[in-house]
Amino acid sequence: MTDAPRTRARLLCAAAVLLAAAALALAAARGTGTVGAPSAQAATASTGSETGQQVFLRDCAWCHGTNGAGTSRAPSLTGAGEEAADFYLRTGRMPLSSPDADVRSGPPAYDDATISALVRFVGSLGNGPSLPILAAGDPVQGRKLFLENCAACHSASGTGTIVTKGEPAPELWHTGKRQVAEAVRVGPGPMPPFAEKQLDQQEVNDIVSYVHDLGAPQDKGGAGLDQYGPILEGLVALLVLLPCLLIVIRLLGKRAPAPEEDEQ
Amino acid sequence: MVTLLPRPKPMRKLDERLGFAATGRSLLAKVFPDHWSFMMGEVALYSFVFLVLSGIYLSLFFEPSTGTVIYEGHYRPMQGQEVSAAYASAVRLSWDVRGGLLVRQAHHWAAHLFIASIVVHLCRIFLTGAFRRPRELNWTIGVTMLLLAIFNAFAGYSLPDDLLSGTGLRIFNAIALSIPLVGSWLAFLVFDGEFPGLEIIQRLYILHVLIVPAILAVLISAHLALLIRQKHTHFPGPGRRHSNVVGSRLWPAYALRSLSLLAAVFAAVLLAGGLLQINPVWVWGDFDPATITAPSVADWYILWIEGALRLFPPLEFHVFGLEVANQFWAGAVLPLLIFGGLYLWPWLDRRWSGDRETHHLTGRPRESPLRVAFASATLMFMAVLLVAGSEELLVQWTGWPVSAIRDVLRVLVFVLPVLAGLVGWWLAESLRRSDVGHTVELGRKELLAGLPRRRHAAEEGAE
Amino acid sequence: MSRPDRAPRSVVVPFLLSALAAAGFAVSYVLDLGNAALGGCLGGAFVLLALGLARWATLIDAQEPDYVEERAVGPTPTPQYDAFRQALTEQPVPRSRVLWGALGTAVAAIGGATLFPLRSMLPSMGTDPDDVLSVTPWRSGTRLVTEEGVPVRADDLEVGGMVTAFPEGLDPRHHVDTTTVLIRVPSGELRLPADRTDWVVDDVVAYSKLCTHAGCPVGLYTDTTRQLMCPCHHSIFDVTDGAQPVAGPAPHPLPQLPLGTDDEGYLVARGDFSAPVGPGWGNH
Repeated sequence: MTDAPRTRARLLCAAAVLLAAAALALAAARGTGTVGAPSAQAATASTGSETGQQVFLRDCAWCHGTNGAGTSRAPSLTGAGEEAADFYLRTGRMPLSSPDADVRSGPPAYDDATISALVRFVGSLGNGPSLPILAAGDPVQGRKLFLENCAACHSASGTGTIVTKGEPAPELWHTGKRQVAEAVRVGPGPMPPFAEKQLDQQEVNDIVSYVHDLGAPQDKGGAGLDQYGPILEGLVALLVLLPCLLIVIRLLGKRAPAPEEDEQ
Repeated sequence: MVTLLPRPKPMRKLDERLGFAATGRSLLAKVFPDHWSFMMGEVALYSFVFLVLSGIYLSLFFEPSTGTVIYEGHYRPMQGQEVSAAYASAVRLSWDVRGGLLVRQAHHWAAHLFIASIVVHLCRIFLTGAFRRPRELNWTIGVTMLLLAIFNAFAGYSLPDDLLSGTGLRIFNAIALSIPLVGSWLAFLVFDGEFPGLEIIQRLYILHVLIVPAILAVLISAHLALLIRQKHTHFPGPGRRHSNVVGSRLWPAYALRSLSLLAAVFAAVLLAGGLLQINPVWVWGDFDPATITAPSVADWYILWIEGALRLFPPLEFHVFGLEVANQFWAGAVLPLLIFGGLYLWPWLDRRWSGDRETHHLTGRPRESPLRVAFASATLMFMAVLLVAGSEELLVQWTGWPVSAIRDVLRVLVFVLPVLAGLVGWWLAESLRRSDVGHTVELGRKELLAGLPRRRHAAEEGAE
Repeated sequence: MSRPDRAPRSVVVPFLLSALAAAGFAVSYVLDLGNAALGGCLGGAFVLLALGLARWATLIDAQEPDYVEERAVGPTPTPQYDAFRQALTEQPVPRSRVLWGALGTAVAAIGGATLFPLRSMLPSMGTDPDDVLSVTPWRSGTRLVTEEGVPVRADDLEVGGMVTAFPEGLDPRHHVDTTTVLIRVPSGELRLPADRTDWVVDDVVAYSKLCTHAGCPVGLYTDTTRQLMCPCHHSIFDVTDGAQPVAGPAPHPLPQLPLGTDDEGYLVARGDFSAPVGPGWGNH
């Protein structure tokens, strides 16, 4: 076995490359979906002295109308209330760079003070629901409700998945508590809204409390692989576990002997 | 030479009673070829050993019952909830039994490794022609073990009665229903009535821990017994003949190498079980047939069937007034064709290659471009099906709608295997006609020689 | 190469380290250091064991040649094979063929008879699976309740909202075929056939939640496209059009449940589903 050290080195390199490739593939596969492109208006940071109305007229009125009455480009905001405004602004879904742009979550376009001002203004436009009042919830009840109502789209682990047209139901691990409560009521985009008669405020608080526990706290037993389920687990089994054993037997066993001259 | 062990007195006493020394000596001196690719079967064997040992530990804690209990344990979000005893015991194993999660996770990773290593082992046997006469029986036993391993893994991950695996059982039930004539009776028999019934967990349990492992143990013994009787195949080389076997002696070299592999397999599954989370059933929730999680998919060794179910168009046929339901084709006919093909292969190979000889020398894959083509095509087909089973990942990666991805895959599932088969044939033929060592060393000349047109020209030119 | 009177260090050291790792596992267990510590220590112990054994095998291999063993090739020589056949088939008692045949008949009959108790695996003597699969317990006047047992009103749902409902008085776990999904569609969007226009209450429509492909609950509803999607194999149903499948492998629409209201305003069924629920089967 004169080439044994070189073979061993080659195999170890192959192992390292394989593992790196697997890790990259996994990272790439789950990289998209939650962080959308920041809206084009993001550059306009507020100086803090502008009122909500001023920002609204500058950035929102061209689609939603000067009094939020709606235009052909965007719906009316008179019934939206502080609840919807707070959700869409804090999750960066609004403002959109153009009426046809995809509504995606991302970093908020404004700072805290501006958002609060805008929220107050939109709330004043009509009789829409005000900001949800959060209270301590029971995660046991919340888990039950989450699995019944939310898991089908957001996955039982909250890792998120696709819905009919490819726009994902996002992962819930980095969403603020209030935004979860707001989303349940508002039903943004493809998400159905859940009215008070369907899920009362206590039940929403329960769900919020359970969602807060999802993600990293559930990573018991090792690296969670995004708790995506058998697809990623299978990739690890076939691209990491199996190749490791292949490398082991390659090192343990011998290579085939060079064929003799008189062999076929 | 260093003596490995002193001559112990207990050994002598045993020999007085059993007289095994002579047989023992010939057994210790048995020669095993030691090519590295021959060790893949041992990876499967040692995975099985780990599965049995870890499975015994798990069975001490697992309760195979659909009767409900109240969970009281460390997993707070489930505290006080009424769930099935099976699910509660699985969560307890993960959160309340110290070391339980390690054994559970290592057990599941070992199942993955078991099936994956059987598949790779099967590929080695297939590509080197080791299934040829006189080893057809061993091939048949091996394919049966693959089938049983897949079934047992499916049964195993369905035992915790969680939301993800319960949905898999629903699909299993639907496929059973779709079998013409007997489907509804068969499904009712297995599930004790309508889905989900109250019996399926108990029935899967006894299959998973007793019946299938017992059959596997018998088949493994038969597999090894045949291997010892017929002796292992080996590659041609210096001193290697059809009529002999060349390699290491069982004791001490081969045994130590094999024990090292045993330790490596245990190491791999324990490290995986300790560092990589798998199947966190407490997150999925207990099985509720009115609810579902997403992505709702099976482990990879079943996922190819899911992929086929996803790609198959919404066709339904009526034959003599009976409905042949849609899920029958991808769910029942496809696996039947794949495994039927595997079972029949030794006889198909004999027919198509005309080779009816007895073989103890295995060939390199290149010596049968037919086998290389079939293997490439089948593996590519399975790969596309696995991709179809992972549509969610593709949607999140590309942003395309799922129907677009499905349409693309419906084309690829036919085109890519054919391409892979043709390329496989070409490469094998090129290698066969040249004397290069590795595929990567193939140059233009050798590749051109492998093409059919050029081959005829070369033959004519040679005359 | 090691001298015969000293154990090679490259083998001993891994073994001793392996013992240390095993001790680490025991310590991790006692101190409850968690899954990673347990797996890392025990896995590490086996890694080191494997390394020591591999090294030992390598050292032995370096000193050993390739061994050769002759192989018995081919079948048994004819005289011995004939002797075997003779020993197997020779029978002093006359008309032995008849005897063996009769024995075979007895064994086959016993084998066949023992298969009958398998019939007990089926629920009861009188049920025809086709009948059971064709109907559900929904009857006219049965109230719809949530999984918690709370009766449902049409105005509990917002526009675009959905809820899963079951018949009042039944344990949902034992009557999966009754699972129903209620959706409130925006006004004027429903395009149901003429004989089903009165199957809705205030734009709230009810369908079976079990996918007609393989029976998974069709849990994903996208408000913007008014479509239900099944996460198992991605069949998509149009809620405004009688839940017709618009994409994916499902061949049939989701059966619809006729809705009405009782005198307290709660939603009730007005009959069973429009078709058998769930996946297709032979006598669908």
